Amino acid sequence: MYKIADEEIIPRRWYNIVPDLPEPLSPPRDHDPEKSSIDLLNKILPKEILRQEFTSSRYEDIPDEVIEQYLQIGRPTPLVRAVNLERILGFRGKIFFKNEGATATGSHKINTALPQAYYARKEGVEEVVTETGAGQWGTATALAATLNNIRSTIFMVRVSYEQKPLRKKIIKLYGGNTYASPSNLTEYGRKVLAKDPGHPGTLGIAISEAVQYALEKGYKYMMGSVENTVITHQSIIGQETRRQLEFMGESADTLIGCVGGGSNFSGFSFPFVESETEMIATAASEVPKFSKGDYKYDLIDTAGIMPELKMFSLGSDFVPPSIYAGGLRYHGAAPALSLLIREGRIKTEEVTEEKSMEAMGIFARTQGIVPAPESSHAIATVIDYCKNPENQGKTVVFNLSGHGLLDLSIIRD
Amino acid sequence: MKLALYFTFPYPNRESFIRFFHGSLNHKYDYLELGIPTEFPYYDGPIIRKTHKSAGENYSENLLRETVKEAISKKRKVYTLVYYNHFKKDRKDFLQNLKSMGFSGAIVPDLLTDFFPERFELVDAMNEEGLSLIPFFTSSTPDKIIRDVTGRTDDWIYHGLQPSTGIRVPVSTDLMVNRIRSLCPEREIIFGFGINGPEIIHELKASGADGIAVGSSLIPSMETDDMDSFHREIHMLEEGVYGE
Repeated sequence: MYKIADEEIIPRRWYNIVPDLPEPLSPPRDHDPEKSSIDLLNKILPKEILRQEFTSSRYEDIPDEVIEQYLQIGRPTPLVRAVNLERILGFRGKIFFKNEGATATGSHKINTALPQAYYARKEGVEEVVTETGAGQWGTATALAATLNNIRSTIFMVRVSYEQKPLRKKIIKLYGGNTYASPSNLTEYGRKVLAKDPGHPGTLGIAISEAVQYALEKGYKYMMGSVENTVITHQSIIGQETRRQLEFMGESADTLIGCVGGGSNFSGFSFPFVESETEMIATAASEVPKFSKGDYKYDLIDTAGIMPELKMFSLGSDFVPPSIYAGGLRYHGAAPALSLLIREGRIKTEEVTEEKSMEAMGIFARTQGIVPAPESSHAIATVIDYCKNPENQGKTVVFNLSGHGLLDLSIIRD
Repeated sequence: MKLALYFTFPYPNRESFIRFFHGSLNHKYDYLELGIPTEFPYYDGPIIRKTHKSAGENYSENLLRETVKEAISKKRKVYTLVYYNHFKKDRKDFLQNLKSMGFSGAIVPDLLTDFFPERFELVDAMNEEGLSLIPFFTSSTPDKIIRDVTGRTDDWIYHGLQPSTGIRVPVSTDLMVNRIRSLCPEREIIFGFGINGPEIIHELKASGADGIAVGSSLIPSMETDDMDSFHREIHMLEEGVYGE
């Protein structure tokens, strides 16, 4: 047994699935017929990010500086065989997990935060703005901005802001500023608060505030999920997984991951799309976008500032229950992922908070890692899948999108 | 290189349209694209979208027939740009009518994205009427779809350079031209969407594009009834396309 050099595992290019989709991706569409929200992207996104959003290239070179930063924050992340979990489930196959919780910020979100902040800095941007639901994206943005010597402002969904004080502390430690959304800082936030001063906030509202704030101040906006560029950057997860499996002499029969906006699942699974690997995307039952949502053009943000995208959606005005997995509360899912689900290439599951909590406990007690509440949904699906006699003998790989060490207040005494 | 001019028919109104159309015939161009006004031209940018409303209010089939006839007599091939959503219900009549007016074919921007399963059905229906479907591709069209649709059609290809008409986001022109060229090496490829100015025309020419289609950049002079500016704009296009 030898240790494989990290440089051999990290790919030098991101993978863009668009040229390989079975159908054309429906283009972004303006919500207001009088205005071009696509043109607006010129104002809020770094040029290179926008170019990548609409590129026809299957691969995009990863700049050397970003590779260096990837190595610094813990990439490649480990691919671990969950032997203890296999034993407790009596599973006569293999379970592997890609541990994105092993990055410096504890989740996959840093994979796209780094290049977005890098390109912003290259264009002379002084500050980036974004939203965060569970806090993982805000944490990643704050670190990526600081590593690139730029400032960051983060609008955090109020319910998470109140539930997760440690997130605010980490973001502050990394040098970012957080505000509870809806806030009084933006016109849209004030409008929401005027109607409901106790509004718990949604990711859609926080996105609206971040975009509005970036526009007003002339800063750049960082995209946490859904958009194609983000999915492309996240392909580093799946590409590393492929190489690690190859080095181990393994191949995946089934890939499982959780879905909020869809970036971790897409980044993990899309590099396998040409193979026959089964793919299962798990959403929260409380946010049933795949079983009860429609495949339609819908707004990304609640205010309708950004272009509409065609995706599975519960409607941009959907106010999800205050489940702890804040990262799964988003009303829609990335267009490429939605298309592959509609086509039947990717299957879906929905898991309740209660069931995901059980899975969190099982995984913590067997593998010693406290999974993020979002990732626990994927683990619940893995457990069900491996208990099914039909699946015995298979090799199951799931994406542990983040750790839950900052979510421990969820655990009842 | 070839030049295609696009007009939403009959923007801004019948009388002005005729004057601008006649004005355009004083210039050299190869293809005339006439946009049939529709209620919600969602894949167009705000400039073209705006033209659909007044064009819709002034629409006249007789005038369309005369326009096509005149353009053909001046050696232009005439195509329509029309949303499938607009004619899906009475497809047969609509296509027969197009043919009888003298159109060579149609560009259908929503076909591959919104009516993907019906793509070959429409190709066949158009072939039956002696009309060409001009494949409309963008950077989001997957390779396999480009190959499949190219294999079932034989006229030129329209490639959108931008996500919608009349806007400019950063794109790698070279990369885009090379990609589509490698997927359909034998076909004439005309680039449209967001082409306004000599720089991008030069870039496309240098990259090996076969032609450009221009629409949005002609609208401001038509909107303000400024014939001089209209001529200047087309002259600039002519120089870019046919000049050294």
